[in-house]
This record gives sequence, structure tokens and C-alpha cells, in this order.
Amino acid sequence: MMKNIIQMKKTSYIILAACALLTIVGCEKRLDILPYQSISADNALESEGDVNVTLIGAYDGTQSAAVYGGDIMVLNDLIGNNANITFTGTFAGLVDAYQTIMTANNSFAAGTWIAAYNTINRCNSVLSAIDKVTSSPAKKNSVEGQALFLRASMYFELVRLYGKTIGDGDASVNPGVPLVLNPTKGVSASDYLPRSSVKAVYDQVIADLTKAESLLPATNTIYATKWSAAAQLSRVHLMLKNYTAAGDAANRVIKGSGKSLNPDFTKLWFTFINNGGANPAEYLFSMTVTAQDGTNSLNTYFGRNVGIAGTAGRSDCKIKVAHIALYEAGDARKTHFVLSGGNNYTRKHLDRFGNVPVIRLAEMYLTRAEANFRNSTNVGATPLSDVNAIRNRVGLASLSAVTLDDITKERFLELAFEGHNLHEAKRLQKSVGANAWNSPKLILPIPQREMDVNKSLVQNSGY
Amino acid sequence: MLTILFSLTLLAQTSEVRGKVSDESGQPIVGASVVIKGQSTGVTSDATGVFVLPNALGKQIVVTAVGYDALQLNASNNIQITLKADSRLMSEVVVTGFGGATLKRELTGNIARVKSKEIEFLPTPTVDQALQGRAAGVFVNAQSGKLGQAVTVRVRGNSSISANSQPLYVLDGVPITSQSQSSYGGAMNPLADLNQNDIESIEVLKDASAGAIYGSRAANGVVLITTKKGKAGRTNVSLNLQTGYAEATKRLPMLNSEQYAELILEAAKYSDDKEGIPYNDPYSYTTYVKNDVMDYYSYGQWSKDPTKSYDWQDAVFQRGPYRQADLQIRGGTDRTKFFTSFQHLDQTGTIIGNNLQRSAGRINLDQKANEWLDLGVSMSLARTLNRRLPDDNAFSNPLQAIALNPMTPFADPKTGLPAGTPPGDVNIPLYYNPVLTVDYGKFTQEVYRTFGNSYLKAKLMKGLIFQTEFGMDFLSQNEEGYFRSETVRNQTSAVRGSGRNTGTFITNYNINSYFNYNYSGKKSNLSTTLGMQYQQSQAKYNSTSGTDFPSNSYTKIASAATKSGGSSSQTDFRFLSYFLRANYTLMDKYIVAASGRLDASSRFGKDSRQGFFPALSAGWIMTNEDFMSKIDFLSFLKLRASYGIVGNAEIGDFPQLGLFSGDAGYAGNAGQRPSQLGNDSLRWETTKQADFGIDFGLFNNRITGEIDYYEKKTTGLLLTVNIPATTGFTSVVKNVGKLENKGFEFVLNTQNLIGAFKWTTNINLALNKGKVTDIQGQIIQGGVSNMNRVEQGYNVGVFFTPEYAGVDPKNGDALFYKNTKLPDGKLDRTTTNKYNEAERIVVGDPNPDLIFGFTNNFSYKGFDLSVFFNGVRGNQNNIYGMGRYSSASMLYEDNNTADQLQRWQKPGDITSVPQVRLYYTNGSQASSRYIVDGSYIRLRNVTFGYNLDSKTLRKYKIEKLRVYLSGQNLLTFTKYPYWDPEVNADSFDSNIAKGNDFYTPPQPRTLLAGINISF
Repeated sequence: MMKNIIQMKKTSYIILAACALLTIVGCEKRLDILPYQSISADNALESEGDVNVTLIGAYDGTQSAAVYGGDIMVLNDLIGNNANITFTGTFAGLVDAYQTIMTANNSFAAGTWIAAYNTINRCNSVLSAIDKVTSSPAKKNSVEGQALFLRASMYFELVRLYGKTIGDGDASVNPGVPLVLNPTKGVSASDYLPRSSVKAVYDQVIADLTKAESLLPATNTIYATKWSAAAQLSRVHLMLKNYTAAGDAANRVIKGSGKSLNPDFTKLWFTFINNGGANPAEYLFSMTVTAQDGTNSLNTYFGRNVGIAGTAGRSDCKIKVAHIALYEAGDARKTHFVLSGGNNYTRKHLDRFGNVPVIRLAEMYLTRAEANFRNSTNVGATPLSDVNAIRNRVGLASLSAVTLDDITKERFLELAFEGHNLHEAKRLQKSVGANAWNSPKLILPIPQREMDVNKSLVQNSGY
Repeated sequence: MLTILFSLTLLAQTSEVRGKVSDESGQPIVGASVVIKGQSTGVTSDATGVFVLPNALGKQIVVTAVGYDALQLNASNNIQITLKADSRLMSEVVVTGFGGATLKRELTGNIARVKSKEIEFLPTPTVDQALQGRAAGVFVNAQSGKLGQAVTVRVRGNSSISANSQPLYVLDGVPITSQSQSSYGGAMNPLADLNQNDIESIEVLKDASAGAIYGSRAANGVVLITTKKGKAGRTNVSLNLQTGYAEATKRLPMLNSEQYAELILEAAKYSDDKEGIPYNDPYSYTTYVKNDVMDYYSYGQWSKDPTKSYDWQDAVFQRGPYRQADLQIRGGTDRTKFFTSFQHLDQTGTIIGNNLQRSAGRINLDQKANEWLDLGVSMSLARTLNRRLPDDNAFSNPLQAIALNPMTPFADPKTGLPAGTPPGDVNIPLYYNPVLTVDYGKFTQEVYRTFGNSYLKAKLMKGLIFQTEFGMDFLSQNEEGYFRSETVRNQTSAVRGSGRNTGTFITNYNINSYFNYNYSGKKSNLSTTLGMQYQQSQAKYNSTSGTDFPSNSYTKIASAATKSGGSSSQTDFRFLSYFLRANYTLMDKYIVAASGRLDASSRFGKDSRQGFFPALSAGWIMTNEDFMSKIDFLSFLKLRASYGIVGNAEIGDFPQLGLFSGDAGYAGNAGQRPSQLGNDSLRWETTKQADFGIDFGLFNNRITGEIDYYEKKTTGLLLTVNIPATTGFTSVVKNVGKLENKGFEFVLNTQNLIGAFKWTTNINLALNKGKVTDIQGQIIQGGVSNMNRVEQGYNVGVFFTPEYAGVDPKNGDALFYKNTKLPDGKLDRTTTNKYNEAERIVVGDPNPDLIFGFTNNFSYKGFDLSVFFNGVRGNQNNIYGMGRYSSASMLYEDNNTADQLQRWQKPGDITSVPQVRLYYTNGSQASSRYIVDGSYIRLRNVTFGYNLDSKTLRKYKIEKLRVYLSGQNLLTFTKYPYWDPEVNADSFDSNIAKGNDFYTPPQPRTLLAGINISF
């Protein structure tokens, strides 16, 4: 064989050499390539800038449609306010929620769970690297406070959607949701967590929000402020029936935030169509939607193209005439509905790119009023003057006296279709349709996919 | 030796020889090659079998023709040559990759071969569709009747769960981009850029012995596509023109207006009764249905004329013209050979708004540079323009129009424009009218595709060849969409018009360099291959979108006042591989073969970068043994066996890395998020496959066939392992899990009649049983309502849902079997009307147990007829996607399928359709009610042709003129209730989610007339 090769033509050698060269060209190093749109998790949180953009990522998670993009609010109204809404949508998960016949496979129950924990992991990533924020203590406090606020908000929503209400059995025994407070870098047995008790989750929420309120700045453009945290804390305490703490927190917001009720109720909406995307001052926390980013799920399901440019939606949630009849004549909120194609729709969510209000100031007045009324106190103001502040703003005359029912009715009308009703019913122990306030049908199922994966979870009763 | 001397003595004489080649029955053989022995050029016989070979008188000539034994004889003038039908079974050569080719009779692995003749000029726009029913064990599902859409191909079952299970496509040595690059309307098929009439042969490497040379990429089978090469001899010009039309294979019976009114009023009555509302109450369901549904959506027409009815299928189905022209020129000398082709195809879909056009050109050139060096190039340029349809799960999918109320007229009576067009009421019809997207919107996908491969082939010494190839596959794609303001109900961003533009640029380079060494001894042959392959693929994407256009006359993003989106991204992958193959044949009886490949890829984790994939096989040609030679009826018998290991590396790019992604911006500020958990030991999936086969020929090879049994065991399955979502992630990719596929394949070719009237039959049939043996308790699901599931002990993607038990005759309630596990392990077969009480069980499987193809070819004189059936059996489809709305006992206001008329109405009624209840779910939950038999037998193609008499033609210098009629998908035999059992909704398609129907367009039935002229 060797002999043969030697006899070959010279040119063949050249070709052979060239071939050999080509064969060697591909060296192993060429296989070490990295993705372009992603970076290694090992060096994603190395600087203050990395932490800052991860915090933005946490807001992005919070904004996902399944949580504060609006699904949480939509679920609240479909389950808890079905007496006032005719739902004609076809998303099976929402149909079942509306009819309170949810199954463990409910896609919205799964979506909210997944998105909330995804956001929590983003918050935990920020908190785990908070020491990288070294430019100023104020900056560090702000970043930490925001991450705590977002995490606490997620846990608060989770525990009240997936756990039993306070007052329904023993909160220190009732299963809440698993508490995860560190970012996930890999999966091990310790990630298969059982549900912490309802009380344990609430304790964490209160601790986080309290700390967040102390760390956060008073103003922070569209991001969470001290007042966002205090307002959320007032909600938490109201849910827990800690009326003093709820009223105090609400009072701190009203007194401290420097914000006031928008004189024109109808200007609180259409933030994109009429307001260039800016929030009215009354918003204490909201999710900003732009043409490029974010979804307003309230718009998706409550909205409709009513002929105003920029309005859109699936027209799924039609407001019953009986609901509109609940408003007194002259109430600006009574005319805040639009008749289109034979059905009424709320004007609150027509704007396709409208920001999603999470908490606004009016709620704080009503919370303070209720807390003061129940405690027979006048912290900040009398219940009567707080209720009248809300009434006067929509063109209604002042009342001369208020009852608890007046306060809760005002709250119901003011905050209608903003995603309060399920928890209001539970808190006030009012039945929803045929379901008692503590009916298992009003509690979301732990998603089947989660039950299947994690054997240490227990399912809610009825699923 | 004597012959050569004899030839030499006559060398001086120069005179031509005329002759005629015919078969044993006296029929002329067209295209037989006649060459002087020892020369490479010659001539071919014409349509009458006649040839004229210059300078041949008295010389030894060799006459060959496909399907006949070669004959060598002394040339004399007016020689009558009779060729015998091929007695040496499988004298055809099979391509094995990397310059390898082996006689089929000596093959020890399993390779299915499809020849150009079988698939030429079929009205199937993609080559994978043309494989359907032609190769045993290759399952093809065209998925939908949309043009150029992705096609499911499975070789010997589904051998993966989370990774891609499509085969590797290798075109003239280059692994080509075959994954969808679509950003709109479901997955498309990049094979649509290949003119299938350029193909000489397709080899499907099915077992490990054949596939191991493709190592980590062969577990799903490898499809080697070889394009036509030039031929020495006179230049042949062939022109093929065909034209015709296509129509949807089926219409679905829906309720007409009166039937719809009957059902929805009955349903409303139930709901009123349930809630205690008087029917005439202004807020009753009944009033709502009459006023706000039937009257409103009919523009007030229903109350005036309740009989007026519109089948919305008429508005969205159409007869689509089909035109195709192919020109092929083929010829060459002994040094230069060429094949060139041009094609233009213009196919209009059977659904409104769908059109596919392809213009393609190719040149394949082979040059003998000198006695030791050959070089050549094959190059194809194509432009494919596809006006696409939205994905199945879009209100703008034209077939979703069947959900509209039958009383809704196609046009708004006030404006005469399609219903729902502004300035008319845009909230009519019930849902968005998909016709608007066709009339006022457009989405086109334009692909410029270059396939090229150049090679140098050096004969280094006797038997030793070195070949190096540089190949490329450039895919350059522009997708462009514009939706006018009329479509705003569907396209919410289109208030003042909405446009988008997406670019995709994939550059895929491939280098093959290898040595082939062949040794032929007296008793033995050895052929070996040793080489390397390097592939590098880079995919770049960019997109822009905009809204707010000055008017509908402006459709480019340049005019958009708001640039609503923009992005660019990139992803790469690389493979570096070394391979070896050796085949040894002893005494033409005993054959052994070994091959192996060492693969490294950028897709694998840093702890498992390289994998080795070996295979061994052996064959024994028993009929060449003395003791077998006495068995007269047995012309050929070979036993073969193979075993090897191959892999599946179609696991996406960078699945192994722990990542953060920078796509988490909020309100205009940049953000990042944890996006993927890493796995350093992530690697390919491993499939071990054993194959036992028998190749046989009987009665002088009038009957030939193959029988194979195989077992494929796949381990290290890449599973997207579900993890608790509380971690912030829903899954992590790991090599866990096992599955297996076992099956039989049968191929039978018979020459039933020979002589003037010829009849041949080809049957291929495959049985496959797939079973997931270990998924470590993972819940893996997908498809419509997550009904496709991976369950241990079952095939991949089985339907897992509660079992429907029919209707309670007492009250019309839908019933379900509880199927809860009893203490004795049996299932509780009692029924319940509470859906939540019913456990999910496996109720169906989208993977067929049996697939087959059945072809009969007849010819008599100038006539030829080919009848081709194919079919699948034992698979189920899931119709819940549409059924939950349209076969749903009037849960919603959607029009329903006509079978809902069989609903329960009064106590004692025995039916499977529950009572109709408006907005009260009754039996329309996901259940086995919607899992239906997907078996079918389809008359896939019938072609009837006539070759004009060649004597007449010769006067006009025409070699051949054939006219033909061809029909595709002419008949379908099935029990499937919806449009088409060969279905898989694009919106839900994944490796495990198959067999779903979601308003999915059916296959076209195409009728063509064609003419083929050769000069």
C-alpha cells in the first residue's frame, strides 16, 4: 500500500494535503458557543445594574396577564360578582369560574399560580443579590422595598385565592400556599414544599409589606412607593379583620401620600386613550401598559370596541341592568356604562392599552371609614366624612349619617369590576349566589399540574 | 481477452449499427442504454425501442435497462435484442450516505427506497408528503389542507417525547434546515422549497445499521435525497405541463337556520326553567336568543324569514386552480454531464386566501477534470411565495366561520359588504367574520432558498477515493402582513391598520471529507469509508411591526405612525463528527458491515460533549448456497440482522445552560429574568435498535419482498421534567425516561401479469407498537385542553381524559364513568353526572398501529394506469377543540354540527347527545366523547396516461408524448365525523400533541390533466 502511494502523482499529494487540512479545520473549540438573547445564570447578578434590571424583570412578571395584568381581578369578579355580570366568553377556565364549577384543571387557576411564583422567584433573585446595590443606601432600600412589596403582593393574592378565608376555621392550621423566599438555582428535594399555613403566609406578607413601607421612597414614578406598600398592607389587615391596623395604614396613605381624589371620576380611566399612558394621581399602584408591552386582561374580558378608537375587547363580561339600577340618580358612576349591541359594558376597562389599576386612593377612604366605624374611632376623619368624600366626587349629595351597610355598599359601587368582589364577599361573610361565603367552590383549586408534580401538597376540598 | 483482441481488429471499421431492444413479450423497451463495451458514451433506445449506435459494427456492445438483465453481445446491423426481466433481485443500487452505495441485494441494514418515477409530477407541494404510503414504516400525516404547512413524519414510530421526532433530511450530502420558520399561521414546511421533480431517489435509513453513520442525528431515521444527475448521450429535453383544480375533500353537515333555532330555543327554555325565568321576560334566555342572537346576528332577517339559511362553509371553501410547468434538460459527454430543471408551480388553496407559488431552477454538473480528479456542483435556487392562512385556533381561521349562526347572511344587507365590515355593525356576526381577514388582510411568506453542494473527488490509488464536499443551505425568508382597519375586531391593533415584517436568515454550512476504499477480490469484496463532517448553522431573525397608518393604501412599516414592536435575535448550533464504515462480502454469500460515528455538538452539556454511535450487521444470501440452488421457485433469499446505537440531538439549541433572558422589560425599561435551569450533563437521546430481516424473490422474481422485525429502545429521553411551579420554573430538561418501539414491516412486489398487458402490485405495510416504559412519574401533557399525555405503559401522546358514558335516559344529563380505583385494583364502572368525580384514563392513541400503501400499475400498449391507496389504522383523533363549541349541546350560541339534532328531549330517549342547555355545560367537558376513530383508507392517487404512438411522433422529432389525467385524494373511507381524519391542528402541534382537530382545513382533492413531451 505504502509503495502505491509513493508512486502517485505529485498533484495528488497536494490535493491530499488540502483534504487533510480541511479535515482538521473543525476543531472542538468551535462547539463552545453561547446563546445571544440570554446569558449564563452564573453571572447574571454581579453588579448593581444587574440587580436593577432584575427588579424591572420582577415588575414584568407582576404585569403578566395571569396576575396583575388583570386575570386575578377578572377571576375575582367572575367568581364573586356573577350576580352583576353576564359572562358570555368561551374560555372554559373562565366559564367554569363564573359558574363556580371549577375543576383542578382550570387553566386560569394554573396560570395565576405559575405566574405568581415565577414573579416571586424574580423578587427572590433581586433580594438575594441586594448587597450588590452599593451606589447609595437609599437606592438599596428602594430596590429591596420594591422587591419585598411585589413578593408580598403575590403571596397575598395567592393565599386569599387558594386558601381558606380568615374566619373559616383555624388560620394557623388551614393550608395556605408554599412559602419560597430564596431564588431557585437548581431543583432538589427541598423544592418540593408543602403548603404553609394561611397564618404563616399572612405573617410573611405583613412582615414584607411592613419592611417595604419603611424602606420605600415616597415617590417613585410608576413604580411602587411607600404608599403602595401601606395601601396593600391596609388591604391585608382588612382581610384579617385587624381593623385598627387597616385603618391606620389607610390613614397613613391618605395623610402621607399627598394624593387626593381625582375631582372627575370619569377621568380615572382611559389612561392611554386620553392621558398618554400616564396614571391619574389617585392610583397608588398600577401596572403600566404600552403598545409595546403588557396586557390589560380586564380590558380583554370586560372591554369591547364601542366605536371609540382604541377601545377593544372580547365583550365577554356584560353588565346586568340590575347592577346599573343600584346607583342613585345623578351618580357619575351610573352613567359609566356603555350600551353596545344591546348589552351594557363598564367604561372602566374599554381602553386597550389602559393601565391596570391595582390600588387607588378611593379605596383607602372607604377602608378607613369601615375601620373607624367598626372600632367606633375617628382616626384621620369620621366615617361619614370619608364616605361623603367618595359620594361628593361622583356628584352625589352628602349623607347625614352612615351605617356599616352604607360604607360597604359605597365600597361595592365605587370599586365595582375592579376585582374586589370575591374577597369582599368572603371578608363580609356574604354568600355569592347559591354559595356560602366559605364554600369550597369559591376557593381556587391547587392546579392539577402542581398536585401531580409535588406529592407534599394537599388539594383544597371539593377538587 | 479474446473479445478485446477481436474488438481491436475491427477498430478500423467505422459503421453504425441500427437495432431494436424489446422485452420477452416483444414490447419495445424505451430508454435502454446501448454502449460499446469499454466506452462511457452510448445512445438510448427511443420510444419504439430503436437505437442507432455509430462505429459499433462488430463490436461488443452492452445493453442495459432498468428492470432488465444487462446483455452483452456482438453488434450487427438490424440487430434484434431481447432483454430478460431482471433475474438478479435488487440489482438496483441503494445510496447509503457519504459516497456509499451498495447493491440492494448486499444490503444488511434496512433502507427504503423511493424512486423518482413514483413521485414525479404529483400535486403534493412537499417531498415528505410524496413519501406517504411509499415506504414501509414511514408514517406521514399531512396535518391540514393548508398549502406548504408542516407535515408529521415518523420513521418506525415516535422515538422521542420532548425532542423533535422528525427524521433528518440530507439533500445531496447536506443536512438541510427542515424545521418550521414561521411566525404566523402555524408551522410551515421548509421542504416546500425543494422541487421534488428534481429528485432521482429518496432513501430512508430506518435501522441502526443504516443510520449509525449519522450518529446522534439518526434515531428518527435519515432521509437521503439524491437529485438527478446528467447522463452521457444525446440531450433529452422534457417538458411537463399540468393544470387542474383542487377542492376540499369534504363538507361537514351543520345545522341550518330552522334546526339551529329549534335547538337554541330548546336550550334557552331549559336555562329559563332552571332559573325560573318566564320565557317572555325581557331578560329571559329565550328573549335573548330570539332578539339578541338570531335576529341581531341576521340583521333582523330571522324574524321575517326563519327559513333563510347560510352554510358558511360556502363562504370559505373554494375551488382552487392548479398549474405547474416543469422543464428538464439532461445530457452530457463522457467528461461533462449535466442536469438542469426549471419549475413553476401555482397552487391555490381550497380555503379562501391560500396560495402557494414556487419557481425553482437547478443545475447539477459533473466534470471529469482528468483521469484522477472529478469535480462537480449541484445547485438549486428557489423562490416560494405562500399567502398563508391564520393558525387553526384563530377567529380569522376561515373554517371557524362554521361557528357563525346559520341565519347570518354572508353580506351586510345595508352595505352589501361582507358581514361585519365597517361602516356596518362590526359586532355582527357572532364571532369575527374570517372572510374579512382574507378581503382586508394579507400575510405572505416569501422564501429564497439556495441548496448547493460542490465536490472534489480524487482517485488516490486503485480502489482509494478521497472526496470532499462543501455544501450550503441558505434560507432567506421575508414574512409580511398587513391588516386593514376592517379587521380590527380580530386584530385589535389594527384600529388604523396594523403591519408587520419579519426576516429570517439561516445559513447552514456543511463540510464532508471522506475516504472510500474498495477492494474487489476473487471471492471477497471490501468497501470502507472513513471521514469527518462539520456542520454549522446560524439563524438570524428580525422583525418590526407598526400600527396607525395614514390610510389603507399605505402598508409598509415606513408609514406606520407607531412602531409597535421590533426585535432581532440569533441562535446557532454546530456539530463536529468523525465516522467509519466497512462492508465485507465473502463469496457473494456472507456479508458483514460495521459503522460508527463520533459526534460532538454545541447542544450537549459540558460534561457530555461527545458520543459514540456504533452499529454492526450481517447478511447471508442463502440462495447462493449449493444446498438451496435446487429449490426452483425460490430465486432469492437473504437473511440479515443488525444492531446499533443511534441518537437524537434535536433537542433545541442551548437546552443545557442555566440562563437569564433579557426579555423582561417593563414600561419601556429593560429587564431580565431567570429563564432556564441548567444541566451540565445534558446530552442526546440514545436509541438501541435491532433489526431482523428476510429479503426474498419467488418464481423468477415475479414476486419479491422483504419482511422485517425491529425493536428500538430509547433511553435517556430528554424530558421537560415538570417541577413545582413554586420554584419559579415549570420544568427542567433532563435525560430521563425510556420508551420502545417494536414492529413488523412487509414489502411485497408482484408482477401479476407480464406481456402486452402488464400489471404489477406493490404493497407495503407496517405494524408498530410504541410504549413509554419509564418517565419517572412525570406528567407530560399537551394538545387541546392538555388531553394528549405521556403515560407509562402507553404510546407517546395518548388521549387521557374522563370516559364518557352517554346520556342518562331519565334526565338528559351527560354521564361519565367514575373509573376511580377500587380496593381490588379494578376501576369503578359506575357512572356519574358530576364531571369532577370522573377520573381521567387513557381512552385513545393518536399513533396508528398499522400503516400501509398499496399500488397497482397497469399498462397496455400506450396506456398506463396507476392506482395508489394508503391508509392508517388503530389511531384516534381528538375533536374536542371544535367539539366543545360545535358539538356541545348548544352550550354557546355557536352553530352546531347536525348530529346534535339527536339530542335527548324527553325521559326515555336513548341517545348519546345530551340535552341542549344554553350556558349550562352538559357533556361538553373534555372526555372520550370527543375521542374518535381516525383510521382511514384513502385513494391517494389515480393516474391514467396515454403515450402517443412513437412512429407518428418521430415525424415531428418528438421522442415521447404522454397525456394523462391525475387525481389526488379522490376517495376517503373513514368513520371520522369531522372533515378529515388525516389531521393535526397547527395551533396545538407538538411532538406529543398529535391527532387534534381544531377547525382544521381538510386535504385538497386535486384533479389534473397533464402533458409530457420529450425531445
